[in-house]
Amino acid sequence: MFEREDDVVERVIQQLRRPVTIDPGLDARVMREIADAPRAKPRVWPLWSLLATAAVLGTLLITHPWTRADQSGPAAFQFVFVAPQAASVSLVGDFNDWDPNRSPMQTAQGVWATVVNLTPGRYRYAFLVNGVEWRADPGAPSAKDDEFGTPSSVVTVGGSGS
Amino acid sequence: MGIDKVEPSDAELVRRVRTGDIGAYGALVSRYRDRLGRYAVHMIGDHEDAEEALQDSFVRAYRSLARCYDPARFGAWLYGILVNRCRTTGARAARRRRMFVHDADALNGATHADQADRVEWTDTVDRALARLAPEYREAFLLKHVEDLEYVQIAELTGAGISALKMRVKRAREQLQQYLREAEHV
Amino acid sequence: MIIVALVLAAQVAVQDPRFERLDPDTRLAVVAMIDSARGDGLPVEPLIQRALEGATKGAAGARIVAAVRRLTVDLGTARTALGTNASGPELEAGVAALRAGATPQILTRLRTVRRPPLTMALSVVADLVASGVPADSAAAAVLALAPKARDADLVEFRRAVERDIALGAPPGAATSVRLNAGASDVYSQGAGPGAPQPRAHRP
Repeated sequence: MFEREDDVVERVIQQLRRPVTIDPGLDARVMREIADAPRAKPRVWPLWSLLATAAVLGTLLITHPWTRADQSGPAAFQFVFVAPQAASVSLVGDFNDWDPNRSPMQTAQGVWATVVNLTPGRYRYAFLVNGVEWRADPGAPSAKDDEFGTPSSVVTVGGSGS
Repeated sequence: MGIDKVEPSDAELVRRVRTGDIGAYGALVSRYRDRLGRYAVHMIGDHEDAEEALQDSFVRAYRSLARCYDPARFGAWLYGILVNRCRTTGARAARRRRMFVHDADALNGATHADQADRVEWTDTVDRALARLAPEYREAFLLKHVEDLEYVQIAELTGAGISALKMRVKRAREQLQQYLREAEHV
Repeated sequence: MIIVALVLAAQVAVQDPRFERLDPDTRLAVVAMIDSARGDGLPVEPLIQRALEGATKGAAGARIVAAVRRLTVDLGTARTALGTNASGPELEAGVAALRAGATPQILTRLRTVRRPPLTMALSVVADLVASGVPADSAAAAVLALAPKARDADLVEFRRAVERDIALGAPPGAATSVRLNAGASDVYSQGAGPGAPQPRAHRP
């Protein structure tokens, strides 16, 4: 089993040239990082300010957006996302074909909101910030079965239908 | 089937990024991630560290895109950033190198003789590569795995061409020796 | 046979403009899978949404195809467990519960103790697990509440558990504390939580 030495090195080279699997989520992580403007605040806002905002919003919300029970027919749900530094935020999910153009959100003082009509069902969704960054809804249950490397949340609408 | 979409060139994508189309950078990342990722994994020897180095390099390249003076050679320019970044990680990873993932159990449990051989061979190669001095490993990978010309490698690493040829030669010799040793274990 | 599939795929592709967001190769594969699922009586809207999600996120075609395939299989499993009368939303929620760790047996049991729609109950199981509650605890809790609780009650239960966890309760214990605190009459009347089910093996 005497192998010419060059052949051994050739075999090594062939082995090393085989494709290496790189985590598919890397692309999204890169884009997230570069989308953060250098002057932007850090991505994690202090919890107390989020809670304070949520408390204020709680009095304004039409309904709990994340679950609505005993419903028949479509009901209005308000989605809210706090992002003072964002230039644009879209609501994207199973209820609008994951199309960022369908539910752009409107902002007042850094709080982004929109209303969507939903029939009974379980919907995965997320917020698309500045067209590049995917963010889950901090106040909603998270969607664990996430196959595309980005975070999502869940809203469930109860009641009969479909 | 159908008409193949013509892919935009690197230069075109760089131009778009410079006019504010951040999304175009995503296309560049897609284009280079696998190839550069392969180099990073082999050079650093640790998958996680390699992906971190890769991610850092992409971000750094984006932030200094104004200094990419020849957008048509974006790939080579990006390589240079990655090669440098891998040198930093290399020093860290060497201290806590997590290697030799394949344990005896994995080999014993292999249901296929070929699969066991494959795992063992991969392991042998990884070990041998890890034993090379970093500058030998770097030169060897860039020349023989990434297929760069010596002129290009000189540009990326800052080393002279004859020094590089010597490093590649030494790398080959050492690999032969390590593999011979592995056979006799 | 392939030509027939291509023609069918082309027809569906023409009919639904949403598919234009997929590249041609991916579109073909996805449309073929969707047609097959439709033929099997599975809801196709969840499959379409999954493909569109992948398209929006710029995922590779192979990944989109794999995701749609996996969802098709899981919808089938959910339908076997929940019965052929289960609605699309119920099946989707069933998939979520299965992926969270509930066994098909748990889904079938839920169907026997609760009037449809089961969407919310299944969803709450999945959401509890997402908060950190072990799958068997989540399933046991929902099964205990299922006979009597309205959908709104299940939602409240889930929120209460999440609050407890956020305040520091160990997730495994949070459900039983909540059950005992707020639903003792339900607990004693309905089927008690069964023994923890073994984790189902999924493809």
